[in-house]
Amino acid sequence: MKRISSMLLVLLMAVSLFAGGASEATGDGSSDAVKVALIIENTIDDKGWCQSMHDGILAAQEALPGKIEYSYVEKMAVVDAGSIARQYVADGYDLIIGHGAQYKNVILELAEEYPDVSFAFGTSSEIGPENVFTYMPESEETGYLSGIIAGMLTKNNIVGLVGPVDGGDSARYNRGYVLGVQSVNPDAKILVAHTGSFSDFVKAGEVATSQIESGADMLTGSSQQAIGALRATAESPDAFWVGQDLAQLTTEEGKAKCIAASSYNYAAVIIDIISKLDAGVKGGECIPMNFNNGGFIFEYNELLADKVPQEVKDKVSEAMSNFTSAAGVLSNWSEVDYNTL
Amino acid sequence: MDLVVNVLSMCIPFSVALLLASLGEMFNQRAGIFNLGCEGVMAMGAFSGMLVPFLVGHGGAVPMVYNALGFLLAGVIGALLGLLFGLVVITFRAPQGIAGIGMQMFGVGVAGTLFRYFVGGTQSVPGVPSFPIPVLSKIPVLGKIFFSHNIVVYLAFLFVLLSNFILFKTSWGLRVRAVGTHPRAADSMGINVTLTRYESLLVGGALAGIAGAYLSLCQAKMFSDELISGRGFIAVALVYFGHWNPYKIMLGALLFSLAQTFQSVVQGLGISFPYEFAVMLPYILVIVVLAFSSRDQKSAPASLGKPFNREIRT
Repeated sequence: MKRISSMLLVLLMAVSLFAGGASEATGDGSSDAVKVALIIENTIDDKGWCQSMHDGILAAQEALPGKIEYSYVEKMAVVDAGSIARQYVADGYDLIIGHGAQYKNVILELAEEYPDVSFAFGTSSEIGPENVFTYMPESEETGYLSGIIAGMLTKNNIVGLVGPVDGGDSARYNRGYVLGVQSVNPDAKILVAHTGSFSDFVKAGEVATSQIESGADMLTGSSQQAIGALRATAESPDAFWVGQDLAQLTTEEGKAKCIAASSYNYAAVIIDIISKLDAGVKGGECIPMNFNNGGFIFEYNELLADKVPQEVKDKVSEAMSNFTSAAGVLSNWSEVDYNTL
Repeated sequence: MDLVVNVLSMCIPFSVALLLASLGEMFNQRAGIFNLGCEGVMAMGAFSGMLVPFLVGHGGAVPMVYNALGFLLAGVIGALLGLLFGLVVITFRAPQGIAGIGMQMFGVGVAGTLFRYFVGGTQSVPGVPSFPIPVLSKIPVLGKIFFSHNIVVYLAFLFVLLSNFILFKTSWGLRVRAVGTHPRAADSMGINVTLTRYESLLVGGALAGIAGAYLSLCQAKMFSDELISGRGFIAVALVYFGHWNPYKIMLGALLFSLAQTFQSVVQGLGISFPYEFAVMLPYILVIVVLAFSSRDQKSAPASLGKPFNREIRT
């Protein structure tokens, strides 16, 4: 009896190890469809990083009817990503995306092993091997728009920024935010703090609370942990939020507190990659994402329209038209030094 | 002055989840059981705690009674997981460290799966609102620091007094300490070692579950399967930090939380200091204090981590 019970417990615990993962295939399975697989470390409904890519692939599927057969796997740690990717290769997938710079090594290793299959990972501005695409959101543009809004709407002249780590597209978004604030309100104090994690909602909430207690009344944050900071902002009657993901506008706290949000339009990246695959290009390119190539979307929260004066909208429109007409407008983003704020 | 008041007033509510989980782990360890699975139990508590108000209000406002029911469910689920852990390490005498790691994985994995099934994506709840204590909360400086929090904060700190009373002033507390110190002697005195250890795990599990629910209902007011993010392991460390004493554990939880709050405030001051070191500060503090206090472990339960078998002489 003891042995059976022990085995059952061990089995139960082993099953729980795999309990977080999920996958699903969509598409009509037509013979000329490109089979796309997505590997993500969080979930497709995290209202942040992973959801934006998932939504982008679904949008690309709609834009290219019958062209994409899609499958995804969630909660995939880097150490486990290689085995699931090999399974996708065995199942005949044409394009395997590891959504996150953490998948770089495993993708490069697989690309060498399977030269006939295309792979992609991001964010990265590196030019990969001939069968690896990279993508790099130039998020300083979305951060800049958030910064304009925060800088013009702050009443206390103090704005907050809750970052995960100072790297990748978060670093670009955050520095763009600083530039945006400084462009409209050079006297505003900008509180910058990093949690050291992409997914610690509690810590992001603590950091946001500490910034609100220090007087910040307009906040923003990047990566999926930002939803914790938005939740903390919703607790304050006077503080408001500018989001890095449109999904934040659909949450209860977002409806009440998120003035506007930008989002990555990964559909543009996927459609671009599919067209390159059709043309026989399997990789070796970095696809930038910016307003100029439709890689970003920006929306105001209709429910909070009365909080945004026309002059703010005008400033945002002006910046947006600059970004839309040319890429690389904010090439000085990396010069922002938080220590001088 | 404002900065100091802000940091102190925030570190108190931020410390509560660690405090409750550490007190629970203290009861486990005082009875001789080392439960590394605290993280998993907290995850299950966080999920089950938010489940009740979510199912009733679908993310909207609910009467306080449903939050209370959430805490109750979290406590019950935590207690059951404590008993499950007891089955593995007391009845089956599995190695406690390994079983604890299994419990951690089990709790986090099952909580995440159930969350996806019952709730779906990242979802917030209105949670427990602040309850500034009338009159006291108006006292300058002290009012904001001590008396402007939610009701669970006040109860958690009162529970420190109660834990101390239970552990050192009741016959059950004496039995717990006896089975953790010298189970064979306790057995020869007629104390049921197995039952007492199960009771301790039940209490410890319930407290870890409630600690998780505090995170999902009072602090983050949302759930994700990464909500606990290592706080269960910090809770275990705080028991050593606090020398298995409720008051010292409370000081440890406050100190850790103070360091955590301080570093996030300091980052915002724009001081030229790598943020990576700031983020590490609370953890370095725990390691340093543990290292310097390692020689002063007289209060450690002598039979901590050792399974008891009355038929085998150890």
